[in-house]
Amino acid sequence: MNNTFSVPRFALLLKKTLLERPMQLVGLSVLALAVVFFSYVLVKSLVGFEEAQVISYVLGLVGGGCFLASFVFGYFSSNAMGSSFLTLPASHFEKWLCAVLITGVFYVLIFLLFFHSIDNLFVEIYHKELDPNGAFYKQLYEQVQPFPYDGFVAKKAATMFVNFAGAMLVGCLYFNKVSFIKVALLIATFWFGSYLINLAIAKVMIKNVENAMPYFLVWIQVHTSEGRIELPAKIMDVVRILIQYIIPSMLWLLAFLRLREKEF
Amino acid sequence: MIQIDNLSFGYNSKKLLYKNLSLQLETGRIYGLLGKNGAGKSTLLKNMIGLLFPTLGTVNVNGFTPKKRLPSFLQTIYLIPEEVYVPSLTIDKYINLFGPFYPKFDKQQFINHLDQLEVKTAEKLNTLSFGQQKKFVIAFGLACNTEVLLLDEPTNGLDIPSKKLFRKLIASEMNDSRMIFISTHQIRDLDNLIDQVVIVDDGRLLLNASVDLIGEKLVFKIVDEVLDVTETLYAEIGMKGTAVVTENRTAEDSKVNLEHLFSAVTDNPVRIKQIFNS
Repeated sequence: MNNTFSVPRFALLLKKTLLERPMQLVGLSVLALAVVFFSYVLVKSLVGFEEAQVISYVLGLVGGGCFLASFVFGYFSSNAMGSSFLTLPASHFEKWLCAVLITGVFYVLIFLLFFHSIDNLFVEIYHKELDPNGAFYKQLYEQVQPFPYDGFVAKKAATMFVNFAGAMLVGCLYFNKVSFIKVALLIATFWFGSYLINLAIAKVMIKNVENAMPYFLVWIQVHTSEGRIELPAKIMDVVRILIQYIIPSMLWLLAFLRLREKEF
Repeated sequence: MIQIDNLSFGYNSKKLLYKNLSLQLETGRIYGLLGKNGAGKSTLLKNMIGLLFPTLGTVNVNGFTPKKRLPSFLQTIYLIPEEVYVPSLTIDKYINLFGPFYPKFDKQQFINHLDQLEVKTAEKLNTLSFGQQKKFVIAFGLACNTEVLLLDEPTNGLDIPSKKLFRKLIASEMNDSRMIFISTHQIRDLDNLIDQVVIVDDGRLLLNASVDLIGEKLVFKIVDEVLDVTETLYAEIGMKGTAVVTENRTAEDSKVNLEHLFSAVTDNPVRIKQIFNS
């Protein structure tokens, strides 16, 4: 018997995971998509299209993804549920892969499909409502376009998703109760802490520091103008690779290692 | 077979719950693990199934190291915890989702167990009372036909008729190829059910003996008056006289009283060891 991976056993596990708590799993996904929809509608009417696209995309992918990530290993809030999960005859790898697939593949695909549909729908409605004979028709038409999935926001959101969802997966295996809140607090503390450290270091080394973003950017004030100091390109590349690939890989892998070592 | 060698375990590294515990458990027996509250009964069970890992020493269950939690190992062992978990599923869906993980799971046997334990519902399992949920999980655990079945306080939450049904079911499902290990502090619930008694206290193994051997080594009787206090391992005044436990020097026949045995063993661990080693 293969103790690491068996297709029939994995299929059983996936089926069991999806159907064991269908209301919670579906409910959570529907809730995330509902938040995406309403935030899109609300921000579009209050602020504008571009902002609506950005906010709802980030909320849906990062917020929804993190919520789901905290749920897939959320068996440890009760003794009985945790024991049942850990003693179920499936390998650690299969249990981990199941969580990764649900969070990193299934949810992402559903979200992208949903977001793509509503975004295109709203953009199309907007375009149809424009007067083709109007003076600024072309300008107004081009002003609102479907969300670019290869743009800056999409890339940043993807980076945030892989990092935060990875942290959530690990966090759920460390914190048995209210793990979402605990991990969110940890991430916020880490983010704010690194911002303060960067700001402090920047203030020691550079004069007229206005602000400093965590790890890569410092804003300075020169007379009435504002300028930004960035990391040198080579170092920035290293940092980017670290944040986009290495840290998330480590987090998602750490979830597997933690699951293997989890005592309950 | 379960072989535990020099097991040390503690939730806190400074205060060990078990220190150098060694224990051998054979297949084909129903073991009763007795201990006070907080003695570490559940902890021992969790070490056996791999939910907790020994700080020192080894646990071996039918050739497997539980800590690794390999699927091939988990298919051979089933733990019924004190607090059970049932998802929001009907019985049929539960069978379809959980049964296939256990190669020896027998659906008909499971349905029979549910009948015997009087668990009947078309509703979702989480709408059942705690006692009914517990009986459901007991029925499922037995129907998985694993070589080792661990039960942690199985009678907690069961009413008196259910306790009787539970004992009957366990006795009827026992065979030579399986081992049932029941941990409880409700000692009376195991009367006439277990054939081997394991008593732990203060992280030490005080007794691991068959009921037959206990009957050979100790006498349980009711006397009007305790004549020799030094010979008495345990005495309890009751309505009909004083129940005493003494060493069986004259090969007397008596029925083992688990409650009195437990008190005798925990009150006189050294003498008990001498008696059973002689």
